[in-house]
Amino acid sequence: MTDAPVILVANRGEIAMRIIAAARRIGASPVLAASVADKDSPAARAADRVIVIGASPANQSYLKPEQVAQAAVMAGAAAVHPGYGFLSEQPALCELLEEEGIAWVGPRPETLRAVGDKGSARQVAIDAGVPVGAGVEIDDPTIVVALGDQIGYPLLIKAIHGGGGRGIRLVTNPEELVELAPQAAAEAVAAFGNGALYLERYYGRARHVEVQVFGDGEGNAWIFGDRDCSVQRRHQKLIEECPAPGLSEKRRQLLHDSSRALVKVLRYRGAGTVEFLVDTESEDVIFLEVNARIQVEHPVTEEAFGVDLVAAQLLLALGRDPQLPDVGPVPPAAVIEMRINAEDPNADFQPNSGDITRLVWPKGPGIRIDTQIEEGYRFPPFYDSLMAKLIVRAHNRDAAVAAATAAVRNVTIDGLKTTLPMHAYVLAHPDFIAGGIPTSWFGPVWEARKESLT
Amino acid sequence: MAEQPSWQDVLDLIAQLNESDYESASVQVGDVSIRLSKSDAGFDMPEAAGRVGAQPRIETGFDTPMASATQPTTGAAAAAPAAALGDTIDAPMIGVFYRRPSPGAAPFVEPGQRVEADTTIGIIEIMKLMNPIVAGKAGVITDFLVTDADPVEFGQPLATINTSA
Repeated sequence: MTDAPVILVANRGEIAMRIIAAARRIGASPVLAASVADKDSPAARAADRVIVIGASPANQSYLKPEQVAQAAVMAGAAAVHPGYGFLSEQPALCELLEEEGIAWVGPRPETLRAVGDKGSARQVAIDAGVPVGAGVEIDDPTIVVALGDQIGYPLLIKAIHGGGGRGIRLVTNPEELVELAPQAAAEAVAAFGNGALYLERYYGRARHVEVQVFGDGEGNAWIFGDRDCSVQRRHQKLIEECPAPGLSEKRRQLLHDSSRALVKVLRYRGAGTVEFLVDTESEDVIFLEVNARIQVEHPVTEEAFGVDLVAAQLLLALGRDPQLPDVGPVPPAAVIEMRINAEDPNADFQPNSGDITRLVWPKGPGIRIDTQIEEGYRFPPFYDSLMAKLIVRAHNRDAAVAAATAAVRNVTIDGLKTTLPMHAYVLAHPDFIAGGIPTSWFGPVWEARKESLT
Repeated sequence: MAEQPSWQDVLDLIAQLNESDYESASVQVGDVSIRLSKSDAGFDMPEAAGRVGAQPRIETGFDTPMASATQPTTGAAAAAPAAALGDTIDAPMIGVFYRRPSPGAAPFVEPGQRVEADTTIGIIEIMKLMNPIVAGKAGVITDFLVTDADPVEFGQPLATINTSA
């Protein structure tokens, strides 16, 4: 026990539980860095030790690099796993840890910088020979008409330092562009501390397809297939699946080869995701971004290929063999993940919090639940609304959709409103069953359902 | 007016406090009173003594942090039950606690010494940054609960203080 390396878990909720499980799997000792609100959470109980790093609001705890680094020092940590969100893609924490000789479970700080900024990420993609969309940076938000004409309409104004779907505006004509560009610049300054913007061609009926990569840090890559994450509401993913349905062999190869080239150019270390826009109205495939972290939806890939990506991350960070197999481009199973959020889908997805009075999960082959909630858990108001991920695996997509439908029907969560009714609706919808819907599909379909009910 | 605030009411209150310039807020709705404070140190509760029994505890996370009730920690001495300590001065941040301005120097304060709210009682070092720690309330320091150069967690009681002395 004494020589078990300590893994500091610098996150909360379901991903903290997931990292703790992976640490146990490789024989390491998980220590949780928690806010006051989470110091008695299920993840806190699952860890070997808890270190309270700050007050409940994330900006006083989980978002403070020096507090997390201090906890890592106090824990005697060999490595820090940042999960997703919070500090997972911040070079600041990564560098503080480097100074202390503590490993960072993630890519090098220079990689985080190279892909963390949309402008430089785009340049990396171009260098790697990866297809990018027509786009241009804005020098002066008051002189934009010529740039707009160069790209063509409709187009998107994006904040270079934005992310997670924030800082994006759709523009359909030059008049709108002239009006909205200065507003977007001011908003970007307020939200991201930097007003840099760029314009890019807008695809109205494109899918979101991403490739799971794992780099050895020397330029070699494992590619673990692709995921379709096109069921989205306001750029937030609701349902993800592996593999992406209905991709031609040629397109799949382009996606995978492009991702491999990016890993090589970046000498990428550890788990990452390369996101693409796959158009349904043309043959265009466009690089979106590299997510330099483990993602929320990683379980669909793990279940489809039978791998433990989080354990592999930990092993690599500890300087060991990540023990990953070489696999083909298409997995031997189909997997669907439903994100169960503490939101009311019938009230504009308004988040809610409170006590979970009753909780029943479905059981059976191919069902996985990644969660921190349990009966009696008080879902806190301070953080993300993700409560649980219900992941269902079957031998093909039709069977997976059927199994997912049954699984959703057999979940009971009493005490607060959840997105389960939305999942039941989407899984039964002929468009989803057919597969290959664009990211613009969910919004109007859900609105239409609401109107049909009133 | 609702007889009892809902969880959502409390959330709204927190959101409004966060966006406002107020450091703390106190709201009474029916027989429920809610107090929120932005500062790590919690805040003074001058009227608290008079209304025993009429103050349901609402865990907002803005409450004065209690002793960390987690598994045994290696460096820090396990805190005694907070109730037995009376008033405590709690660590406003994680780090290494020092009672002296530099090694070999005299401690900032000794038990038995009277302090004001702005009296420095120690330093917490977090990743090489030194942060002076003030008592936060006036009174007589009765004991230190951590020794010099101990690692401390956020909210961990550092010292006991008799505020009525």
